[in-house]
Amino acid sequence: MAEARQSADMKPYVVVWFGLILVVTVEVLLTYQHLPAGRLLTALLVLAFVGAGLGVMYFMRLKDERPLLLWSLIPYLLFALFMMDHIWPDALRLMHQRLPTP
Amino acid sequence: MGESAVTVGAMHGAPMEPSPYAMQSKKLAMWLFIIADAATFGAILFAYGYLRVANPDWTRPFEFAPTIVNAIMMTVVLLTSSLTMVGAVRSAQAARKSASAGWLGVTLALGLVFTVLLLREWYVMIGAGWRLSRNPMGGSVLFGATFFGITGLHLVHVIAGVVALAVVAIKFNRDRLDAGHVETTGLYWHFVNVVQMFVFPLVYLMNAR
Repeated sequence: MAEARQSADMKPYVVVWFGLILVVTVEVLLTYQHLPAGRLLTALLVLAFVGAGLGVMYFMRLKDERPLLLWSLIPYLLFALFMMDHIWPDALRLMHQRLPTP
Repeated sequence: MGESAVTVGAMHGAPMEPSPYAMQSKKLAMWLFIIADAATFGAILFAYGYLRVANPDWTRPFEFAPTIVNAIMMTVVLLTSSLTMVGAVRSAQAARKSASAGWLGVTLALGLVFTVLLLREWYVMIGAGWRLSRNPMGGSVLFGATFFGITGLHLVHVIAGVVALAVVAIKFNRDRLDAGHVETTGLYWHFVNVVQMFVFPLVYLMNAR
């Protein structure tokens, strides 16, 4: 009886595990579709965030915590990651500059 | 609740207040650490992206076999270890000590499998001439720096997690730690596996041939 209850408790997490394996499978398949680099990067990032979201919400059980915890943690992290996006103009400038090899 | 119950263990003049997050302090502390560490990994992945975009001669050395296959195996191993960690936490919360210790042992073993797979890959790459500042294929030397730096930082986290799992498994089995400690360690372990969800596509798949 206890084992049956335990396996029923684990079922949602097994489903999430299959979802994460599916995310990894789609990522690998997309990699070998010869997509343009920008499109491939966008697709991989979206899938990575989907996988991370599943892991954080279900495995780390953030969805079962008080909403205050989610709103205290996630917006800060997203803000910090968003601020890091300011490096891309400089990276693209260097890419187009194409200095000769010394 | 009597005042003495509220102030037991508190310093003089400092009544204890309930947490607004309705969780133990160690769990909240672990969440705060995880967010800070996530920003750290974000920064190192952004730095990798910047260097990659800024260097037109970036090398993409990873063949499907064996490198990408190895990376897929590493990712699946870590994802499976997250599932077994959930089993450990739920067993601990149900006061099933031996079951929880068993699940923790399997999680620890999967962490060791990941470590062996990554170190084996490093051994092959170093044998082929890759270093932190050397590229045997003639492209940007920053490939080695970013690859070994990112995977090395992640590996340090995995090894620390393996050690923590061993300590928690032993002490929980001896009633010196409680289910809250297992859950808190589980949070850290799941975070390390969530990081792999970004390392795998950005560092391995984006550098596939």
